[in-house]
Amino acid sequence: MQVTVKLFGALRQYLPAGSSFNSCELTTAERPMLHQLLQMLPIPDHKAYLVILNDEKINEQEYASTQIEENDEVVLLPPIKGG
Amino acid sequence: MSWQRQILRVNLSTGECKVEPLNMEWAEDYLGQRGLGSKYLIEEMDPAADALSAENKLIFATGPLTGTMASTGGRYSVITKGALTNAIACSNSGGKFGAELKHAGYDLLIIEGASEKPVYLHIEDDQVELCDASEVWGKTVWQTEALLHAKYADPLMRFASIGQAGENLCRYACVVNDLHRAAGRSGVGAVMGAKKIKTIAIRGTVGVKSTDPAAFFKIVNEVNARMTDRDGMSRDGTIDMIDVTNRFGSLPTRNNRDVQFEGAEKINAEAMHTPNANGHTNLVTNGACFACTIGCGRISKIDPSHFSVKDKPEYHGASGGLEYETAYALGSACGVDDIDAATYAGFLCNEYGMDPISLGGSIAAAMELFDIGAISEETTGGIKLEFGSAEALCAITELTARGEGFGQDVALGSKLLTEKYGHPDLSMSVKGQEFAAYDGRSMQGMGLAYATSNRGACHLRADPYGHDFDTTEIEGKAAVVKDSQDEVSFIDSSGLCLFPGGCGWTMDDYRTLVAAACDGDWSEQRMHLTGERIWNLERQFNLRAGLGKKDDTLPRRILEEPAPSGTGKGLVCRLDEMLPEYYALRGWDTEGVPKPETLQRLGL
Repeated sequence: MQVTVKLFGALRQYLPAGSSFNSCELTTAERPMLHQLLQMLPIPDHKAYLVILNDEKINEQEYASTQIEENDEVVLLPPIKGG
Repeated sequence: MSWQRQILRVNLSTGECKVEPLNMEWAEDYLGQRGLGSKYLIEEMDPAADALSAENKLIFATGPLTGTMASTGGRYSVITKGALTNAIACSNSGGKFGAELKHAGYDLLIIEGASEKPVYLHIEDDQVELCDASEVWGKTVWQTEALLHAKYADPLMRFASIGQAGENLCRYACVVNDLHRAAGRSGVGAVMGAKKIKTIAIRGTVGVKSTDPAAFFKIVNEVNARMTDRDGMSRDGTIDMIDVTNRFGSLPTRNNRDVQFEGAEKINAEAMHTPNANGHTNLVTNGACFACTIGCGRISKIDPSHFSVKDKPEYHGASGGLEYETAYALGSACGVDDIDAATYAGFLCNEYGMDPISLGGSIAAAMELFDIGAISEETTGGIKLEFGSAEALCAITELTARGEGFGQDVALGSKLLTEKYGHPDLSMSVKGQEFAAYDGRSMQGMGLAYATSNRGACHLRADPYGHDFDTTEIEGKAAVVKDSQDEVSFIDSSGLCLFPGGCGWTMDDYRTLVAAACDGDWSEQRMHLTGERIWNLERQFNLRAGLGKKDDTLPRRILEEPAPSGTGKGLVCRLDEMLPEYYALRGWDTEGVPKPETLQRLGL
């Protein structure tokens, strides 16, 4: 299935080639777990980010038990500093 | 050793300009810029004095790294008693003015007294003169720079000026240097206006000397190489955070009624990069301050066909564009999703010398007053001051810039404005200073940081961001806020910018550069102690000015109205639980007064 993933701020550099300004479509197995989806993105392990799934924050310990459904929106937010 | 070891003192009441040795003992204890300027201020003036009186002082302070080739080493601060807050004000700016002041041979410029007639200060190294300002008084910042550049036939002369907002004592008037960089917050421009000094024109050719240039440059290059994560900031600037805070649910919207803005995608980084229906692109390029290797500044153009500038070709050129804070204040805070309107209002802030954060916060408060019927079109002079109205935003900004009509009320700042019309709860401010672009309910640490900031609500006095994004639980936040306040105090006193901290630098990188620029052993322990000493010094100023625990608070909305959406949905800021822990960690009593043993430990 196709999942839309949005990467904001400094994380945009890890969008696959051909992506729009801040989002990409990933082709996944049916109803993947969140951690499987995240592994498809070339984000280095040391890069911290926050996952928002359909406007709900997902804690890191829940990545392996959170199932992604058709039409879900996955958003990755980088840590920020004041500006 | 990169100190100039001298200060320039200018008395506007007597016209005397004299050079004095820098107090190096104070520089040892308070470093430079914010810390050192604050030390001079508290030693030389009564904190209880009226901010707009001749008793107040206006200090332009550089740090030991200002004017050097250390990355971002172009910062200076304006330290005074704030016209907006009646608290200590320390407003930090980049551009090239600070380096020019240092290159002219001065670590600090202290302006005291008040002039009877408008004057400007002209400095060319050791040649210093106060000049009649009748040719530039009443002019904008931009006109002032152009006129004096032409007069002195020197394109490299740098200026720090007030516009008409400062002359008219707008409570949040700022000091603008290099056309669109500003010591923006707390009303430092109003203090300059009250002293009737229009601009400081500087040309410096002395430079900054190091006792061991080769060793200094080696360290500078090594530390600069550790700034490994700056590409995003260069490409997209701080406005990139609109999407992040909007998704997180901490983007103040419509005077903090909401924390997510449905129009965010029209005022974000992508909107700046993307051509509109007319083929016009807002963003022209990025810009960098002196010695900066990031270049986060935005240089923008307004669509010439936009209603705000359609018949105003003088605004069709490129100038300082929207940063994150201006996009919030002149965008989501007012419910406005028109990027050209927000850019125009931002241009006016630079041109007339107003802090866009406080302007936007004041307009947002006025819009809520209008929304609840506390003011009407009769009050506003016919302007339908509705949330979301780009036309109203532009019209009110013009009136405020010129000090006309209802703009005179908006120029009071949101605190006095909402008090005047009977709804003080609608001012989203702390100590009279409007919120920055973060909501203190989903970001509990930021709520505490706002409440305890010595200069009023501010996003740059602490660094609770990472902890706040990690959790809305309050455990540990008091310590994060306290420790980061001390760290930021140190950075703000160095001559460097805070932003490398988001691009790869650690506190040890800042410490390493300070150690390279100063004599003595700048250990990690001394760094933290210096920052803590500066924070407590500022607190002492405020206590003597009559501020205290009663002022370490937040608006009722943030304390009692739950956030309507986002990751903080249903939460209010738990300030009452965090504040006692914060005071205890600071070594203050339950009233927020530093205990004698704390002052002794810090050498205060």
